[in-house]
Amino acid sequence: MILLSIQFDAYNQSQLANIATLLIAVLSITLLTGASGQISLGQGAIMAVGGYAAALFVTKLGLSMWVSFILAIFASALFGLFLGLAAARLSGPYLAGTTLVMALAIPSIAIRFESLFGGDIGFSVDYGYPPNWLTNLIGEISIEEWSLYVALPFAALALFAVLNLSNTRSGRTWRAVRDNEVAAALAGINIARTKVIAFVCASALAGLAGAIYGFRGLVGPSVYSTDLSLLLLTAAVIGGLRSIGGAIFGTFVIVFLPDLIERVTKALALPETISDYLPALLIGLLLLLTVIFNPRGSAGALEHIRHARHSRKH
Amino acid sequence: MDSFLSAFFSGTSQGAIYALVSLGLVLVWRGAGVVNFAQMGQAMFTTYIASQLIQNNYSYWSAFVIALVSGAILGAIVDLGLMRPLTSRKNSQLLNSQSMRTTIPVIASLGILGVLKALAGILWAGEERGFPSPVAANALTIGNTTLAITGFDLFVIGVVFVTLALTTIFFTRTGMGLAMRASALNPEVTRLSGIRVGSVRTLSWAISGTASSLAGLLVTPKTNLSPNTLDLLLIVGFTAAVVGGLNSLTGSVLGGFIVGYVIAFVNVYSAPENVFLAILIFLLLALFIRPQGILGSKEVRRV
Repeated sequence: MILLSIQFDAYNQSQLANIATLLIAVLSITLLTGASGQISLGQGAIMAVGGYAAALFVTKLGLSMWVSFILAIFASALFGLFLGLAAARLSGPYLAGTTLVMALAIPSIAIRFESLFGGDIGFSVDYGYPPNWLTNLIGEISIEEWSLYVALPFAALALFAVLNLSNTRSGRTWRAVRDNEVAAALAGINIARTKVIAFVCASALAGLAGAIYGFRGLVGPSVYSTDLSLLLLTAAVIGGLRSIGGAIFGTFVIVFLPDLIERVTKALALPETISDYLPALLIGLLLLLTVIFNPRGSAGALEHIRHARHSRKH
Repeated sequence: MDSFLSAFFSGTSQGAIYALVSLGLVLVWRGAGVVNFAQMGQAMFTTYIASQLIQNNYSYWSAFVIALVSGAILGAIVDLGLMRPLTSRKNSQLLNSQSMRTTIPVIASLGILGVLKALAGILWAGEERGFPSPVAANALTIGNTTLAITGFDLFVIGVVFVTLALTTIFFTRTGMGLAMRASALNPEVTRLSGIRVGSVRTLSWAISGTASSLAGLLVTPKTNLSPNTLDLLLIVGFTAAVVGGLNSLTGSVLGGFIVGYVIAFVNVYSAPENVFLAILIFLLLALFIRPQGILGSKEVRRV
């Protein structure tokens, strides 16, 4: 992993760090929507909870960044508990709308309670410097490289957790509730409790992602916008809501596609109005086309192709 | 007393606009079982069309009518081109899952919203622009006393009440309106009694498109126009629809006015930055106290 990152230049390192961070948030949607069937358009707001919690622990209480990240997980899980208690009563469109309202309202809470949350400006926080033992071990570490080292272990941990969860009893319970609530209830599953637990787990992941995301430089209302919430959902859908590989693929798409487009538009010297909105247009179209033609996402398509090949052999 | 009256009147005129938005949402929800998060994106787009026409020296009223018609067309296109193929694919594994059947259309509507916003940005540049109103926004005066209501507010209230009256007549007195109500109540039986449920469904998308594009035309003289300005209106309209009852047309209008007053009074007696928070709290309260809405009926689940 370390060798791998040396091969990349600083720019790609920070992009990879971005991917690792956002992957955690996308995984939270894979968990919530893909596995338990609840939709949230407000994962960005839960990321804000994690980000603000971590920033407050660091700036007001003087805790270390690592401890703050762990505490941020608990803070957002607690928030997820309250949210889940409300959400368990809601289904489909009600939940989507309510979480969307939340996505708009949470950043404005930061502005409303300026003395605590720093208002419009927020907190400027960063990953600090790599510890001495690490620089002694592998030499000088650039800021970009360090951000990658901070994000990667958490991303790996999140991947591990989600991979395991889907194979456990609770993973199966979630899927049962997702596919047919009545049947699940008849099989003795407590539906409300299942939904709340899914919300808590997903919020913990989103909060962690929010903390790491904010510590790139700023924890503020503009960082956790509604657009971010929708972008994460897009990543999860493009890749395939029910697949972890899909989540990884989708995250790559939303991080690298805007870049790629920018390079193309610069090369073609397109006017600014087009180049500004082209990434959003293409990502929106990609989302639409995925939902219409291939609702299971790229991961589902891949599986389909593999399946078709397999059946042709026999 | 002055601030009370001004809050009351601005609540009425804003509430009238929210009522249109929430009526649009409820129409599509009843007709097609989808909450259309792209609704105000469609309205934003048609308002840009009107703005473009006015720039090209068309009269306000011709632009007004063309915007309403294009709202209807856009709504019908969204249904025919997207939502119908999406929900008709019953054999898809993903759509077999109960929760996904309601989730996938929501995600699709968000895709439409993103595409429309980006398109508007490309076509008309992203900057805010003003949008004209046919009536001056000066406070009305009678003799020497200045009233707390502007001519524009009166215009908005008038237009919305005419629209609501026409809608009521449509739903209670015409065959098509009755067909729409019937197919919202029970599509299967309606289809068996010889009504084309598919066309009825497309019609509700079209009417919803018109209502929201009217809301866009009425709100932009105050808020200005940009690809993002109408997002807030969708949130407020959704809250209004939930408060009134997602499956009740009358309820949605009632909800619009209630939310209008809540926002206006928060604006006047508290601070404008508390509005978002007030909406969230109001929505959560509504969901906890009466999740089916004031006039909504409780969904009966057959086991």
